[in-house]
Amino acid sequence: MSIDADHFDLSSLKALVLGADTPGGAAIARAYTEAGADVTKLVSDREARSCGARSGIDDRGAACTQMAADLTEPARASEAVGEAVGAMGGLDIFVGCPDLFLARPVAETTGADLNHVMTTNFGVQFAAVRAAADNMRSFGRGGKLLLLTHLLGERGLPNTVAYAAAHAATQSLVRTLALELGREGITVNGIALGWMNWMTDRIRPDDEPASRAVRFTIFKRAGRPEDVGPMAVWLAGSGAGFVTGQVFHLDGGLTLHI
Amino acid sequence: MLEVFRLDGRAAVVTGAGRGLGKAMALALAHAGASVVCAARTREEIDGTAEAILSAGGNALSVRTDVTDAAQVDALVAACLDTYGKIDIMLANAGAGTAHDPFWQYSDEEFRRALAVNLDSAFYCGRAAARAMVESRRGGTIINVSSISAFRGNDIFAYPTAKGGVVSLTKSQARMLGPHGIRVNVIIPGLVPQQPPKNDREAEARRRIGRRIPVGRVGECWELGPLAVYLASDASSYVTGSSFVIDGGALAGGLGPSDFAPRHSTPA
Repeated sequence: MSIDADHFDLSSLKALVLGADTPGGAAIARAYTEAGADVTKLVSDREARSCGARSGIDDRGAACTQMAADLTEPARASEAVGEAVGAMGGLDIFVGCPDLFLARPVAETTGADLNHVMTTNFGVQFAAVRAAADNMRSFGRGGKLLLLTHLLGERGLPNTVAYAAAHAATQSLVRTLALELGREGITVNGIALGWMNWMTDRIRPDDEPASRAVRFTIFKRAGRPEDVGPMAVWLAGSGAGFVTGQVFHLDGGLTLHI
Repeated sequence: MLEVFRLDGRAAVVTGAGRGLGKAMALALAHAGASVVCAARTREEIDGTAEAILSAGGNALSVRTDVTDAAQVDALVAACLDTYGKIDIMLANAGAGTAHDPFWQYSDEEFRRALAVNLDSAFYCGRAAARAMVESRRGGTIINVSSISAFRGNDIFAYPTAKGGVVSLTKSQARMLGPHGIRVNVIIPGLVPQQPPKNDREAEARRRIGRRIPVGRVGECWELGPLAVYLASDASSYVTGSSFVIDGGALAGGLGPSDFAPRHSTPA
């Protein structure tokens, strides 16, 4: 079997990107559109009462559909996935990209902080992936689940306890779901980001140690949105059907540093 | 409870026992009651380790050994059997750093040498010990020594490459030897200088490196001793195939310099 562009061609596939208003989610949605997928973007709007699909044109001139829901609430996220799939008429690819960072020493991290960060990063991811998997099962055609996460889920860093715990949970979800869903032709993988150029909430431009942290990468630079899309396309394509239960580092070699 | 850590009546072989971590672990095993066969290439150094054990009232023997030579490793284990009638513990610690040459200029000889001293040696030691342990039907414990560089890479690439092999070797050994009552585990040290600093400049360099480690300092050789005793003794009787990182927290982090902590953000 020859390897060709077809393995990366997502034409006629229906993709739902939750958190498409985050830079990582937006990059993946754009890459999927370019790869030919029929993409619906689910974006966060805490005021949104119901989703209501809205067709439009994205910033590159491609057709896309956008829906809004309160993506800080697992129940709302789950409903939104159901509504989106109903409007799309199917689901082949689901990508979850919730990302809410909190910098706080452990002594100052309240139970409410922990709940909020766990819920927004992990609880929403869990509820949305569960809804997506249910839909994929009902269609009986398998599918691809992709969870965007962060290296903090496997590496320690001071002042990140709640966020790191949430992303560790997400990475665990990848492994467990891969086993639960594998027989139904549903693959589950994760992409763990390192220091990306939009993460000014953790690598502030005016923070000198943060600049040195970026230089821990092999390439001496933070990642960019365009670094993310191609891996997400590979994982959603027909060439990745035997890939499941893995969390891939997309970090410019950051994790090679001691 | 503490009796379970005792090694009285046990016979141990420790390679690379002439200095640094190997010497510290050999002394620790002896202190816990084991008779120790001290092996390395440098006669004066292993004699020094054996002398230290003997003068503390323990049993020790020094056997000059090049661990890259399987026949010498077999002879080392034979010396342990001859003297103590058995081998209960093999601590395959010997290893050596490798050249800093650029990757594309690395020679075949240097790469082979790195694998020979760091990986072949663990195979030879494990094989010779296991052969005797299986034959005696008494079981035993094998302890390999790797390095945290195996998990993060390093510019002296041949060394971490070989040390990664040691971790992998340990897991297969544990599977193959478990049914014979032999436990196999691996110690993975972080930055632990083998010798005291030679001068103030070196001491300052170590302090500087130490500040990059979560506990704020490099390790000391004696700190490997208690772990070696735990793994050699019945205290770890259900532990096999496991990796024991002892690195002051270095592998737990690594996403930034030690003074990097994202600053307090407003409530989410």
